[in-house]
Amino acid sequence: MKFSTLLRKMSKSILFMVGFSLIVLIILTCATSSSWTQWSPTISKLTERLREPDWFANGGLAGHPLGTDPLGRDVLTRLLQGGWTSLQIAFIVTLISMSIGAFVGLITGYFGGVFDMIVMRICDVLMSIPNIMLALCVVAILGSSMFNLIFTLTAIGWVSTARIVRSVALKTKHQEFISASKVLGASTWRILWKEMFPNAITQLMIAASAYFGGTILVETNLSYLGMGVPVPQPSWGNMISDGRQYLAAAPWVVIAPGIALMLTVLAFNFMGDGIRDVFDPRNKN
Amino acid sequence: MANPQDTALIEVRGLKKYFPITQGIIFQRKVADVKAVDGLNFAIKKGETLGLVGESGCGKSTTGRAILQLYRPTAGEVIFQGKDLVKLQGEELRKMRRNMQMIFQDPYASLNPRMTVGDIIGEPLEVHNIAKGKEKKERVQELLKIVGLNPYFVNRYPHEFSGGQRQRIGVARALAVQPDFIVCDEPISALDVSIQAQIINLLEELQTKFNLTYLFIAHDLSVVRHISDRIAVMYLGKIVELTDRNALYNNPLHPYTKALLSAVPIPDPVVEEKRERIILVGDVPSPVRPPSGCHFHTRCPLVMDKCKKDDPEFRNAGAEHWVACHAV
Repeated sequence: MKFSTLLRKMSKSILFMVGFSLIVLIILTCATSSSWTQWSPTISKLTERLREPDWFANGGLAGHPLGTDPLGRDVLTRLLQGGWTSLQIAFIVTLISMSIGAFVGLITGYFGGVFDMIVMRICDVLMSIPNIMLALCVVAILGSSMFNLIFTLTAIGWVSTARIVRSVALKTKHQEFISASKVLGASTWRILWKEMFPNAITQLMIAASAYFGGTILVETNLSYLGMGVPVPQPSWGNMISDGRQYLAAAPWVVIAPGIALMLTVLAFNFMGDGIRDVFDPRNKN
Repeated sequence: MANPQDTALIEVRGLKKYFPITQGIIFQRKVADVKAVDGLNFAIKKGETLGLVGESGCGKSTTGRAILQLYRPTAGEVIFQGKDLVKLQGEELRKMRRNMQMIFQDPYASLNPRMTVGDIIGEPLEVHNIAKGKEKKERVQELLKIVGLNPYFVNRYPHEFSGGQRQRIGVARALAVQPDFIVCDEPISALDVSIQAQIINLLEELQTKFNLTYLFIAHDLSVVRHISDRIAVMYLGKIVELTDRNALYNNPLHPYTKALLSAVPIPDPVVEEKRERIILVGDVPSPVRPPSGCHFHTRCPLVMDKCKKDDPEFRNAGAEHWVACHAV
């Protein structure tokens, strides 16, 4: 598809535009935050712990629009920096797992046979264990670090993508345009990459956007359980975890990352739905 | 007519294609074969159109695909330009594909919905390193013109076209590599009657223009009569009769051919009234367990004891009129 057509279709899809603008906004704010926030996300100041947001009627500390956390750190700063960490992790994990999943899915679907059977049984095993459990086990054994987190999430992430792409490959491989391509003398790689892969792009993009949101959630869950992003580095998960004891006294500590998390996941789901319209050549708008 | 051996472009000897029927979930074992094509011998002369007719499931399409090695034959030889295609592998076979092409039955399924017309027709040019970039685009536009489409269609997607236009795109794709031989696998069966004639005329025009050789697979006898020079009639994986078009329609020898031809309505009410239909009893037997001897003996009006035991030889009954029947 030509780039200009793609842009035109993107601008016409409301769902896509809403999701996309929200994501761009979130990414930009988070990515640049370190240069314009006045507080450090990690240095604690125990004299100023659990202060209310400064716009609250009964006071608060100036310069903390979202208040401070149990260790006296600025919640907004931690929110943005933590978001940037989460987004980076989610982006890397999604990219790697989608690539592996698409590759495995195309190959197993197209060639079938014993290889397909073995890989699919491995997928079955991986899918039968709850993601969080598996991730917890791996992180518990390897220790919690950024790299281990990415490795774990990727190891789980490729499975569902492989399934989706495989189903598309199975559907397309018996269609006549694949026979036509063979008669033309196209190599197997060409058939996989140029003929079958484009037919899986829509599904892949939808899966990717859903998975991106999902990865942020899993990462948050792990951090909440203390197995994700190591403290004191902020992430939405460990922020919620830190604040949960003070939910009644200082709800802003938990609500701020909660809303940020919800908006981000929602934005990615919106974009995923929009992508379906954008990538369909039959949709002329 | 000259000896077919001298001018044959493609020669098929003892071509067989069996599809295995397997049982079992993990360890699959073969329990039987579907004998889709069961020993074909024929040659296609340079520049001619050989029509291949027969009812559904008799192995016409399988024959076409086995010749082009889309299905690797179980046995037999396909001699094309001095090489046995059945023995060719990998890169050698891929290079040979430049000389033989196929036009598919379903113009809706045979074009990739995610590729533009330019990419579809340009694919063979890229695959065989014939043209790239601007040159490729020019060549695609030229091909579109040749098949009677607007050259500005290059950036459009298949779903924007009608069935007839899509089939023209399929024809352009087959022509892109300038092949010598094209298998037309029921190229008009999926089209409206009004469009069928256009595509037939286009195919004929292209044949004269580019000196093409066709294997034209169809079940519409009037269309086959119109376009073919010679016609082969298939029944249950075997060719039962093969001869010149006029000889076949005026003087069919095989009882199956006679029955087939008697089913064609004649567009003249006076003659049509006198048309006598030979109605065959029963159904086509399963190609998994074809009848002994002559495959047709279960439904043949002229059946003899010999037919049940011996497979009739495919022989020349005079004037290059080949037939496989004990009664002739």
